[in-house]
Amino acid sequence: MPTLLLGLDGATFSVLDPYIEDGVMPFLGELIEGGTRGLLRSIMPPLTPPAWTSLVTGKHPGQHGVFDFFQKDEPGSIYFSFASSQNVHSATIWSLASEQEKRIISLNFPLMFPAPPVNGVVVPGGMMPWRQLRLGCHPPGLFQRLQQLDAFEPREMLDMEMEVKAIDGCPESEYADWVQLHIRREARWAAVCRHLMAEEQADLTAVMFDGVDKLQHLCWRFIDPACRPTNPTGWEQDMIDLCELYFRSLDGLLAEIVSDAGPDATVVVASDHGFGPTRDVFHINSWLEREGYLYWSGEDEAAKSRAATDVGFAEMTRHVHAIDWSRTVAYAATPSSQGIHIVEQIPGTSGRMPEEARAKIAVELAASLMDLRRPADGLPLIEEVWTREQAFAGPYEALGPDLSMVLADGGTLSILPSETIVARREQPRGHHRWEGTFIAKGPGIRSGAEVPELSIVDIAPLLLHSLGLPVPEDMAGRLPIEIFEPEALAARPLRLAPASPEPEALVGAAEALELEPDEQAALVERLRALGYVE
Amino acid sequence: MTELDPQVLDDILSLLGELKEDWDYEEAIEPQTRFIADLGLESLEIVVLSTMIQQQYGKLPFPVFFDDIGQRPVDDRDVTVAELVAFVSEHRQPISQEA
Repeated sequence: MPTLLLGLDGATFSVLDPYIEDGVMPFLGELIEGGTRGLLRSIMPPLTPPAWTSLVTGKHPGQHGVFDFFQKDEPGSIYFSFASSQNVHSATIWSLASEQEKRIISLNFPLMFPAPPVNGVVVPGGMMPWRQLRLGCHPPGLFQRLQQLDAFEPREMLDMEMEVKAIDGCPESEYADWVQLHIRREARWAAVCRHLMAEEQADLTAVMFDGVDKLQHLCWRFIDPACRPTNPTGWEQDMIDLCELYFRSLDGLLAEIVSDAGPDATVVVASDHGFGPTRDVFHINSWLEREGYLYWSGEDEAAKSRAATDVGFAEMTRHVHAIDWSRTVAYAATPSSQGIHIVEQIPGTSGRMPEEARAKIAVELAASLMDLRRPADGLPLIEEVWTREQAFAGPYEALGPDLSMVLADGGTLSILPSETIVARREQPRGHHRWEGTFIAKGPGIRSGAEVPELSIVDIAPLLLHSLGLPVPEDMAGRLPIEIFEPEALAARPLRLAPASPEPEALVGAAEALELEPDEQAALVERLRALGYVE
Repeated sequence: MTELDPQVLDDILSLLGELKEDWDYEEAIEPQTRFIADLGLESLEIVVLSTMIQQQYGKLPFPVFFDDIGQRPVDDRDVTVAELVAFVSEHRQPISQEA
């Protein structure tokens, strides 16, 4: 019996439920009625690359190694590389199914290039540039096969400019074309999916629709009934209607794919994170500067000529030149990770930061962050601060930020210099939340049920179980047995497989530190001068 | 300047030659061809291309390479095929000689 994973990037019930109630998404309504639904809690950070990787590995970022779009190659480095499939240090549903001779189809998932050598077909998504898609498809020759399809148009399916507009915005005159492009784009991915389903007869078919995330970022105020304008202008009403058309079209595509999978298929709809409105923008590095943890170099000449929407190699290393490393103790390298890194070397020396000092800095920073108030209403800016150990326990935790934070209104970070520490947008924007979406329907799955919140790491065990495969013992997730009819679970109980060999933990430079006594003394003196030891 | 390893040059030209079929790029791709100004790539696409190149040549210090380019004046913030080949030639891991 086939298993179908329909990924809806950033889907949230606060958007889907009203559209279902209004008859915009009738198929999703039927799927929920005939199946089980629940909230799906994402991971820290609730962000596309680490969250989808957690969904397909059943593990948290500290266990699989993906933390952000860009990430450190080595614990002590201030340079960040673009995250790719080579950063996924764990078995995945793709590899586990392939090893046991199940055939898979994986379409439009991030961190799938270079494509892993699976038993089946892969068309990577995420930040895969359309110009290189020929190289990214697996197996060789798949790209040429797909070129025979009218619907296969890589430029529309993987337009990176759309990613940028979703975050940085675009002129009002471009909104309508931008949404229309997403409607066409999802239809193209669905057509490729249905074509490959017919050709491949796969055991596991998975396709991800990422327009949900993009539209919600840019068009939240036209999508969320609570945020829509009460007296919309003509243009605003057009946008409300167009966003509704996107979700209506998506619903139709989901219906067609599920129909093709047949009545015996197990269908799982899942999102990598939820969504909600936000207005706050926290200029994290400027705050660190104000608190004395960060110093700008004043030498980032290249930044002056960058467009706000420029995403590329200049941005990967922006902080390297913008920051004075001889004095800086803590910094944020990317806005997306929602994290702060503490430097590996004691500023102004070649000595490595002792763990004691590092822990003290982390505690100080966390306390200061929790004390921050929003200028608009005096309420706390930060809801939670997690230490690296709390957020990322596992063999790869040394690659993650030392502190990760959750802004109270789901707000966003900026790493750029600013006179204002906390800015407020005029219009609400959509941004990521913890609470994503889970719907499942199929043989043995309860009908019309709502279950308490599941974790995103529970999806991989569920998919493996659906494929009749054992679940590796080292997955952080569990088989969500509460979604099954008891007799169905009794007939096919959970089977466990031995854990994969545990990778050797990456050791942070500080932990590997072995200093001569005089070196140690000199470094302690430097730390004392900086105020990090008493 | 680092010498261009003929094998690396050949590999990268071959790779680009295969890809350009999808780009509507009619001109010949040569060592002096620029990725952004001539081929029309976005900055991030060169970063992604580096991932593909590392699959063939092993891990390379691309962050430092991109850092150098990112610091250039905006009009010079581009990479020629020759620059990329020189970088790969200089930093590629030696191929083990099998008997």
